[in-house]
Formats: sequence, C-alpha cells, structure tokens
Amino acid sequence: MEIAAVLGPIVLLSPALLLAVLGSSSMIDRPLPERNINGLARLTMVTGLLAALGVLMAMLIEGTRLVTVLSAEWIRLPHYHFVLKFVFDRLSVPLVILTFLLCGVIVSFATRYMHRERGYNRFFTLFAIFIVGMVTACLAGTIETLFVGWELVGLSSALLVAFLQERPAPVRSGLHIWIIYRVSDAALLLAAILMHHMLGEGDFGRLLATNSLHPWPEGATVATAVQALVIGLLLVIAAAGKSALVPFSGWLPRAMEGPTPSSAVFYGALSVHLGAFLLLRMNPLLVASHALALLVIVLGLVTAIYAHLVGSVQTDIKSVLSFASLTQVGLIVAEIGLGAWIPALWYVALAHLLGHACVRTLQFVRAPMLLQDYRRLEGAIGGRLRRPDARYLHLLPVRFRSWIYIFALERGYLDSILMEFVVAPFVNLFRGFDKIERQWGDFLAGRRPSAASTTSAQAQPVADVARPVP
Amino acid sequence: MSSSAATDGRYRVLREAIERAAHLLPAQGPITVFIHHNTLHAFEDLPFDQALEHGTQIFGGEPYLPESSYRDALTAGRIRADDLWAVLEDDLGISAVDGVARLVSRIDLRLAMLQYPLRSGPAEELSWFVAMTDALQRVSPMASVAVKQKLIAETRRWVMRDLRGRNGTTVARRQPDWVNALFEKFGESRIESWSAETWEAVALEALWHVCREGVQAVPEFTEAPSIPLRHRDLLLQMTGIDIDLLVNPILIRFSAAFVDQGVAHWVLPDREKGFFQAFASLYRKRASPVPWLRRLAREMARLQDAQTSALDSILESLAALGVPESAWDTFLEETLLSLRGWAGIIQQIEIRGDRVPHAIPAGTLTEFLAVRLLLERFALIDASQQTLGYTGPLASLRDELRKRCPRSATSSEQQRAFSVFELAQVLGWPPDRLLRRTAEEWADLIREIEAFGGIQRRRALHAAYEKRFREQALDALALHAPQPAPATPRFQVITCLDEREESFRRHLEEAASDCETFSAAGFFGVAMYYRGSADAHFVPLCPIVIQPRHYVEERSDDAVPDAHRRRQARRLMGTVFHNIHRGTRGILTGAFLTAALGVLATIPLIARTLSPRLAAGIRARLARFVHPPRTRLGLERSAGTPGSQGEHLGYTSDEMTDLAERQLRDIGLLQNFSRLVLFIGHGSRSMNNPHASAYDCGACGGSAGGANARAIAAMLNDGRVRAGLAHRGLVIPADTWFLGALHNTCDETLRVFDEDLLPGTHRADLDYARTAIEQALGGNAHERCRRFESAPLTLTFAGAREHVENRSEDLAQVRPEMGHATNAICIVGRRQRTRGLFLDRRAFLVSYDPTRDDAEATILARVLAAAVPVCAGISLEYYFCRVDSTGWGCGTKLPHNITSLVGVMDGAASDMRTGLPWQMVEIHEPMRLLIVVETTPAVIVNLMSRNAAIDRLVRNRWVRLAVLDPHSSRIELFEYRKFFPYQPVAERLPTAESSVDWYRGWRDHLEFAEVGKCYQSHKVVEV
Repeated sequence: MEIAAVLGPIVLLSPALLLAVLGSSSMIDRPLPERNINGLARLTMVTGLLAALGVLMAMLIEGTRLVTVLSAEWIRLPHYHFVLKFVFDRLSVPLVILTFLLCGVIVSFATRYMHRERGYNRFFTLFAIFIVGMVTACLAGTIETLFVGWELVGLSSALLVAFLQERPAPVRSGLHIWIIYRVSDAALLLAAILMHHMLGEGDFGRLLATNSLHPWPEGATVATAVQALVIGLLLVIAAAGKSALVPFSGWLPRAMEGPTPSSAVFYGALSVHLGAFLLLRMNPLLVASHALALLVIVLGLVTAIYAHLVGSVQTDIKSVLSFASLTQVGLIVAEIGLGAWIPALWYVALAHLLGHACVRTLQFVRAPMLLQDYRRLEGAIGGRLRRPDARYLHLLPVRFRSWIYIFALERGYLDSILMEFVVAPFVNLFRGFDKIERQWGDFLAGRRPSAASTTSAQAQPVADVARPVP
Repeated sequence: MSSSAATDGRYRVLREAIERAAHLLPAQGPITVFIHHNTLHAFEDLPFDQALEHGTQIFGGEPYLPESSYRDALTAGRIRADDLWAVLEDDLGISAVDGVARLVSRIDLRLAMLQYPLRSGPAEELSWFVAMTDALQRVSPMASVAVKQKLIAETRRWVMRDLRGRNGTTVARRQPDWVNALFEKFGESRIESWSAETWEAVALEALWHVCREGVQAVPEFTEAPSIPLRHRDLLLQMTGIDIDLLVNPILIRFSAAFVDQGVAHWVLPDREKGFFQAFASLYRKRASPVPWLRRLAREMARLQDAQTSALDSILESLAALGVPESAWDTFLEETLLSLRGWAGIIQQIEIRGDRVPHAIPAGTLTEFLAVRLLLERFALIDASQQTLGYTGPLASLRDELRKRCPRSATSSEQQRAFSVFELAQVLGWPPDRLLRRTAEEWADLIREIEAFGGIQRRRALHAAYEKRFREQALDALALHAPQPAPATPRFQVITCLDEREESFRRHLEEAASDCETFSAAGFFGVAMYYRGSADAHFVPLCPIVIQPRHYVEERSDDAVPDAHRRRQARRLMGTVFHNIHRGTRGILTGAFLTAALGVLATIPLIARTLSPRLAAGIRARLARFVHPPRTRLGLERSAGTPGSQGEHLGYTSDEMTDLAERQLRDIGLLQNFSRLVLFIGHGSRSMNNPHASAYDCGACGGSAGGANARAIAAMLNDGRVRAGLAHRGLVIPADTWFLGALHNTCDETLRVFDEDLLPGTHRADLDYARTAIEQALGGNAHERCRRFESAPLTLTFAGAREHVENRSEDLAQVRPEMGHATNAICIVGRRQRTRGLFLDRRAFLVSYDPTRDDAEATILARVLAAAVPVCAGISLEYYFCRVDSTGWGCGTKLPHNITSLVGVMDGAASDMRTGLPWQMVEIHEPMRLLIVVETTPAVIVNLMSRNAAIDRLVRNRWVRLAVLDPHSSRIELFEYRKFFPYQPVAERLPTAESSVDWYRGWRDHLEFAEVGKCYQSHKVVEV
C-alpha cells in the first residue's frame, strides 16, 4: 500500500513535469533545443512507465485492488464539493501502463521523425498535453477529474491534427474535430452536473460504490434505472464523440492530416479508445439500466459494421487503418454493453482494447512501408497478391451492391447528414433569432430596418457552415 | 451531313485542346518506380528563365528561391557583389550606364535593389509600417554611415536655406502644408538647437512627403492582372466560397477507387466500363442527403440512359458553363490543373498500363475531365444561388460575376512612394533633389523600379548564385593537374556515374592508390527486364527512355539440397503475413487477432523503434532460413527470339559480345586490364519510405543496379564472349576475372555476387580489393555523416558505419540518406582529370576517353545520349523541388499517406503529391547542372546538331555546357549560341592530405580541393 502510494504520484507527476518544462519554455518563447526535449521526454516517459509498473507490482504483491492517491478537496460549498482524486485499479493500471508504453515508443519515434521540422517544440508540447490528459483521464477518481483529462486530450488532438498549419486542410480538419469534441465534452459536462444534481456526488467511489471491498468492475450504482439511463445516455454521447462511433465517425479520416506519429498513437491507439474506457469506468450504470446496455450494444455493433463496410472501400492506407481501428472499437463497445449480463466480458473488452491499441500503433507507424511490404509479400508468395474482394459481397443481391458501395465510399453520408439536418437548422435557427433581435432593436430605436439586418452579407457564413468541409 | 462534319470538327478541336492541356500535367508515374524528370518538361522548348516565368503563371509555383535566401547567400559570401555586377552588366549591355531620372545609373539602381531588401506589401501594411515603426525617425540601417550623414546634412542645408526663410523673409505661407506641419511638429522656433536625431527625423519626414507627392501623377505601367477564367476562381474572389472544396473530395475518392491497385478490399463496381460509366452508375443513385448531389444524380441518370459519351458530356458542360470555343484551351487547362496530381497519375497509368497490375483504359483522362465539369456545374449552381442569390442560367454566371468583380489596381501609390523612399535612403538622394524631378523623371524612375520586379531580381540573384559556383567548379577543373592512372592497376572498379559514388571512388583511390576506377550509367549497358529470386515480377532495369527486349531471371541453385524446402517456407510465411495483414481489417478475424495476440505487437514495435539495427540483425538471422541459398542469373538464351518465357529468357553469346564490347569502349577500358575487375551497381535500402525508389539508381529505372553489374560481369567472364571480343580487337587477358557487386548507398555495405565462381588463384586479389573497399565504405559513411545533423562530427569511421546502418533500418528515419541532393556538375572525361580532386559528392562522373574516340565522336554521342537526360532530369527535379517544396515537390513527408498503391497524398483527401519530399532536397543548392565534357567545341557542336534533346537542353540553358580540352587545361563555356574561352578566377586550389582532412568538422558545402599526399608534399606557401 505504501509503495503504491509513493509511486502513484510519480506516475502523474512525470508527464506533468514534461508539460511544465515544455509549456513554460514555449510560453516565454525560448524553446529548448531538440536534444534537451528528447532527453527530457524520454526520461519522463521511462520514469512514468517504471512507476506505473511499480504500482502494479506493489498491488499484486500486497493483493490490494484499489489505491487512491493525491486525493484533495478543491472546492467545498454547502451543496457541492469538487474533489481531485486519482485511483489505481484493475481498469486504470493497465491503461496507464499502455499509455506510457505507447507514448514512450512514439516519443522515441518522433524524436527522429520530426527532426529539423519547424514546430518540433510545438509537437512535443502538444504531445505532453496529450499524455497528461490521458494519464489524468485514466486515473481519474471523480468525474470532474476525468473531465479535465478528457478536455486536455481533446485540445491536444485537435491542435495536432492542425499541426501543419501552413495548409488550409489540416486546420479545417482540426476545427471539425474540435467541434465534434465540444459536443461530446458538453455531454460529459452535463452528465457530471446531472450526477451531482441527482446523486449529490461526482466521486466514482461513491457513485459506483467501488471501494476496496468492491473494486472495479464489481461496483454497483446507487442510481435508479431511470437516473442511470439519463446519465448513461449523456455518457454514451460523450463516448461516441470521442471514439468516433456512429454518427460522429466522419472525423476519423480527417484526423490523418496530422504527422504520422500523432495519428498513430491518437487515432489508432489511445484517444479513439477513450470513449470505450469511459463506458468501462461507468459499468455499473449498464447493470442498473438494461435499456442503456442494449443501446450500447447496438451502437457498438452498428459502428463495427459501418466501419467495416466503409473500411473495405478505402483506398489510402491511413483511412483503411483508421476504419479498421473503428471496427474493433465498435466491437469493444458492444462487448462492454454485453458485460451487463456477462461481467467477464468487461475483462475481455479491456484485453481487446489493450491488444488492439498495440497492433494499430505498430500498423500506423509502419503505414509508409506499405509499398515495400507489398513488394516483399508478392516476392515471397511468388505472384501478385490476390486482389482482395470481400467474400460476403457475393451474398448481396447485385442490385444492392452499388447502393452499399456508394454508401461506403461516401462514408455513410454521416457528415452530410449532420451538416444538413443538424448543423444547418441549428445555425439557421440562431440566425433567425439574430434577425428578430435586430428587427426588434430597429423597431425600438424607431429606425427603418437597416440593410445590414437583412442582406446576404449574413447569408454567407451560413452556407460556409452548412457545407461539408472536406 | 454538314452538321455531322461540324460535330466531328468540334470533337477534333476538343480532343486537341484536352491533349494540349494534358501535356502540362505532372509526368510522374506510380511511385514504386520513381523516374527523375524535369518538372517543367512541358516548357523545355523555351529558354529556362522564360519557361520559369511562364510555368509560374500557369502552375503557381515559385521560380527561384525567395529573395531573402539569396540575400543570406550574399551575406555569407556565397554570392559576391562582383557576381551581381557582372550579371547586371550582362543583362543591360550598353544601357547599363544610362541615367535614370538624372539620379542614378541603371546598373547602380538595380544593384541597390538587389543588395537591399525593399519592403513591399499592401498599402495598409506600409501605412502601418510608416506610422508604427521608427521608419520616419531613423534612417534605414541598410544605408551606410556616409550616405546617411550626407542625406541628413543636405536636408538640413536645404531646410535652412530654402524652406525656413528666403532672403530673410518667412515664406511659410507659400509652402506646402506638409512643410508647415513639419515645422510645427518639431518646433520651428528652436530650429537652431535641433538635435542630430531631430534632423534625421526631419530629413525622413520630408523625404517621405516628397516621395508621396512625386509618385502621384505617375501612370500605371504594368497591366492589371487578368480576371480569372474559371467560374470557381471568380466565385472564390467574390464570395470566399470555394466550390473546389465541394468537388475535389468526391472526385478524389472516386479517382482513388478507380485507379486503386489493391488497397481496397472491394473493387469499384463497373470499373471495367470505364471512369465515366462507373461514375454514372454509382452517382445516379439518389442516396446523398445533399441537394446538389441529388440534382447531379438526376443528370447522371439522364446521361447514362441516353448513352451520352464523355466527350459529348464535355461539350454539353462547356456550353452550359458558357465557355466559347476560343477559350476552351485555357479553360480546360485550368480545370485539369486544379487537381493536377490525380489527373497526372491517371494520364500516366493510362499511357503506361504495363507498369501497374490493373491497367485503366485509354481515354480515362477525358472521362475524368467530363466528370469534373459535371461536378463543377452542379456545385456552381448551388453555391451561386446560396451566396449570391443567383438563379439565372449558368452560362451567364461568369459575365454576372465579372460585372460584380472589383478591378484591383496593380500597384498602390503607397508602394511606389515607399520604394523610392527606401532607395533614396540607401542611395543618398536628399529630399530637395527628388523635389526637383519633373513628372517625366518621376515616371522614368518608377518605370525603372517596376521593371525590375521581384521575379526579375530573383532571376538576377540566381544567376549570380550559379555564376559563383560555376567559376569554382571550372577553376577546379582548370587548375587540377591530371593525375595519371596507375601503370599496373592491382584491381579496377566500374561504378555508376551517380554523384554519390564520387566520394566512394575517391576514398577507394585513397585507400588503394594502385586501384583504377571508371564509371558509366549504372545499368552498364545491360537493358533488361529482370526478376530476382525473391521477386514476383519482371521489372525493367534500364533508363526510362529504353524499352528492354531481353528478360533475365535469377534462379535459385537447385543443386543446393534444401532449396525447395526454403521456397515452400518462404511462400508459407508470405501467405501467413499477408493474411494477418488482411485479417486485422476484418471484424471477427480482427477481433481475434487483436484481442488474443495484439499485445505481441509491442515486441516489434519497441524493438524496431528503440534499436533498429539490433532488430534488423535478428530479422536477418531469422530470414536466413527461408532465403534462397545460392542463385545464378539465367543469362543464356537457347531459343530464337527474346521473351519472358522459359527458353526465351536471356541473351545469345553474340548479343552478349555486343553489349560487353560497347560497355568497355564507352568507358575506355581497352587494355591494361588488371587481374580483378569489379562492376559495382548501387541501390538504397531504407524503411518506411514511399519514395524509396527515388534513392535507387536512376539509370536502372529507379531500381537497384546490382543485377546489371552481375550480368555484365558474367558476360565478360564467358569464354565465347572473350573470343568474340578478341576477334574484334579487344583482348582481355586470360587471367582477368570480372565480378559484379551491389553498393548499398544507405547503409554502406557491398555485396559481391557469384563469389563462389571466382578462381582460387584470384582469391588473394579479391581479399586485397575487399580490404580497400571496406576502408572506402567506412570513409564514405564518414563523409556522408557530416551532412546529418544527428550524427556527431566526432564520429569514427566505424561509428559512422554504425550510424548509417541504423538510419537504413530505422522506421522513424525520414532522411535515410540524402539521395542526389547537392548534385551540381556532370563531368564527362577521363578519371585522370578528376582523380585527386575533392568534388564533395556533387559531381556526376562519366568515364569517357576522347583519345580513343573516332572523328565522328560516336562513343561520346552515345555516352551523352544516355547520361545527359538522366543527369539533367535529376538536377532539374531537385532544382524545382528545392525552390518550392510544396508547389513543385510533395512537401514534408510527415502527413504522407500512400494511396491506391500509386502515390502519396497529404492526409486523407488531398491531391496526389508528385515530386520529391522536402527531407530529400533540404540541403540541395538549386542550380542548373553544369556539364563539362572533355572534348573540343567543334566536336560537341556537331554532336548537338545530331541530338535534338541535348541541343534543346543546352541552347535553352536548362543545363550549362563547357568543354575541357583533352590536351590542355583550356576550358570553353557555352554562352548564347557559341563557346567562349573561360578564364580561371582562382590561382590555385586548396590542398589537403586526404579527404577526411579536408571535410572534417564541417557540415556545409565545401570548396573543391586537391586531396592526396602528393599535393601536400609540394605544398606551396598559402596566402
């Protein structure tokens, strides 16, 4: 217990140190030389990893399954308190080890891959934000703490997609992702408020009744089925945005605008799994509300099938990998939903998540090798690689094939649907309010309706927003 | 009848217009075979500078480096002021001394404009600059102290004499307002106690006002930029809405699916019916929720049902868009170029279907254009309605937009005034002097300044940049004393002419002074389709201009006992890996593989990232079990005609004799054979590198040239070939043995082929050669490492080899080697003219012995015909990709994404990126290739008249040409249609005892020097 309590803070503080150094040197516009950034990044990653492994060992040896560290009350009001708290349990420890492992590998990879690039310092600073966010989210013991990590991950992801900021496309994609993330963040924030409101508690330990006697995944919520469903729905929206589940899947291929190492670790491995992690963390809610569990299963399966279909028509390696990744994320989500009936599946989902993250990271960093790999494989096999044609297609009636093909090629029109049926009406509604307000203002001021309040000068941004941005 | 004739005529006109437009598209084929070529190949008929200006207008790339880069070069001494002067003198001729507005001579004005960066920008920016910085308080820091003092002193005198009071009476009332304002601002009453700073500010304020007044009446000289032709550009300019953002993603997705060579698991339906039909079949489905795509679907259904051809559809679209026939050319050109990478790759695959597994039919580019125009039409209707409320016919949209489009002035008054203001400070024109200029003189001055705009200045700076280097290179050749080849060479080596082998040869000669080296185009005359024992297909190993007739296969030696088992194991492993790769994309297979075995992926992930070299070693050891143990080339043909099947593979002994004779005569190796002769091809092995082929041998069509070296060596060892050669007067001694080898230019290893066939008597010779070669490889690795910032300058030779081996195996390494970067010269002549000369890996070296050529220069003609296009292609591709990495090249490697197995995109939906990545060209100095041939002007002029390609490149100055006299050190340089003698600038070359003594501790480009003990021994006192 004591060893873990000592090592625990190191797990958190080592990435925080990296961020503090890189962040402050960037802030005063004195970026460190490449060599120092490399050394510091490696050092903190290795320290973090060793500390996390140490916690694991200590917990195994001592047989404890829940360690709480750095618990501190930040704000206390009569009806509200804000607690920062980090927990090590069977869910967070593997994830935090995975985070350090993959981020460490990617840091080492990026030191050479990004060599001499303008923005080297920026890359590592954003990467540090990401790692801090990831570790915070994994270890969060309260929903507020989780939210902090969740935000940091979202912010750094969007900025890294827009890393090559000289071209418009990455910036546009970064903005798109940021908007989707905001929606999911809003849902998470609402869920947090609702939790406080309904249960007076944001602490997982109390909300989910996980404690040293019943550590994860054995918790049981005090919420009623309806409360669980409402909170759960919001959490599902949050998870869907973060993990690119249907209908938010459109952002995933856009994320490939960033440099290869960040695409690899974010969208192949870590942040794309964060939604699944959230659902795992909230697993008692699924038990409390079977309707929620069913919904999660359906969402997972729909995403898996969708991603598989879309993935099978993609022609560029990074999109192929990102949809292959999404297929498995969908399955993991479905497994989590099924866990409501078969709790062992939560462990399966966790193992699936870990293994999947490792495979995809390897595949992503090797993505530029595709041509060389194909040549080698062709040589080994001694002929052209069999033109892969998905076998189940032959089961489809011919008439439907091209319908499904165009559906897949256009990525299910998910972005267009969101734009046409959600974003455009939303923007138009508020534009309408704006117009009424102006007219009302004009009326009160006794002015004639000014040209500015009616003309097309206003219409331009509508069109801009309501278009699918490539 | 007549109407059908008219239609036919329109078809013809349209086809020709498309053809002309298509000629402008990038000529890069599938990236697996990277062929270097002139990026502006479409304009080779124009002189270089003109082509650049023209190409820039059409493609929008940058023609030269930014002005600031040249100025940095000026500061660093890379360009000298003398060179600038010479270039301007050359440009202006006798008009150089003409006065401009009685202020300055033209050449001085231009020189000032070249030397000092003049600020330019929009009027608002300049106003801000004047108002918010100390531009009106402090004389520009660029002005010399003397000029500054003079400016202030003269202003002061003028103010005191003419402005303040005239004959004792105050004339303030008759002064312009700004003068009064000036006096008011600084306090006229205290004028006699104004400080130096105040006077400086007064001088500048006065100058600024004079300049602003002076330029007011000057008319426009440059034409206003023409109004854009494409509807999209007009709409973008008007509204900020870019319809390409709607059109391109759809077109990119579809084109990628159409040309896909095997990434997608699901082949595009109706692909075999062609681009247009396949598109129509898919996009006639009204599946999209987007209104304009639903309207497009209706149109696609109509077109498909009416069986409209692509060409008819283009005609319809052009009519619908209101493009008259006279504008077809430009309109189609701009339309095709808007997604030039994809259009280009479609064109290339269409033309060279043999280079891809899944060819696409002829006419695809036309169909691509038809689809593009359809998409544009419907996107335009939608966008113009949404943003402008325009609902009229599309055909008149352009007129409508043009009417609304504001005409922008080309140059603002602010800009003109500011240019004069800055020039006045550096050239020391006091305000009163400017005030006295007449309106004509102001116009004259402004015209002169504007005539020497940004592009013109960069052209002049670039010319000086090249001139300086050219002089250094020619000096080196003129001053270097020929060093004769060893009388009895212990061994001889023939490498590729590649500039990367220059240092290898130099190190080799330093390691073994009794070794003689030659070089030739790296396919060594053996143009063949080749299939290695580990390859699935034949690939052409020869320059792209040659279409090989012969096929050669590498066969595993079945005499080895377990050859068959190994082949089986290899196939099994390949199948397993392929299925794993596919499996991770499936639903259930993916779930199983990732959940159950996924964590195992950390092993290669960590090993390969943290210690690439170690991981590679382990993999190589494992692979040893499945590799074919020993192989032979199947060179000998038994059946009649050459072909790709069975008995038709290979060459007859007569064909081999021809090849061998030609190769030996080309390099001038006809006698004095040593006991061991090595042909060394080259290739480059690197990881995670879609552009890997660009690092391989250009003369082998972007593949490694080991097989060619092995083939020529085997041919020359053949008894019948030797008999045939002897019959033709070329006697190879019986105790001479040839070996082929492959030099890996990335990890600096050398693999010798067919070593087991070497007679025992020659074992010692090979051991001797190998020791020298290993030493040379170490030196080469060391010399290369000085260019890698991540390699310490203090590396040992062994450390350098380890470093480059790591680079070669590293997944994260974006600069496995520097490729052809820094190439700048091509020297065609005997090695003795360059032996002992440190050429800094910048020279393509081609062995050619003018003393053994006939009067017609037959040998030179064929040597140049092979070498010049290859070297010029490399040089020009590097030039363009370096001056504008994102415009001509494919930008940084970081976001590259392999698409359809034919090229790379940035991210998931960009244009296909062609050209070289930034990491390859970063250290390159963009310059035209300087070709120096050891021959006489008469011979080469005659030769140019027989070879149109070389003639065009030389006369249009895409390459520079000089000749080095075979019997003296006289050099003549080709300038404007004829040769002029070149006078060396330097008196002697720097010397060093060895290469490493010269380059040690330095990362940048180095001067050429004489290296070797002999130079050091009679070293003269250096100044």
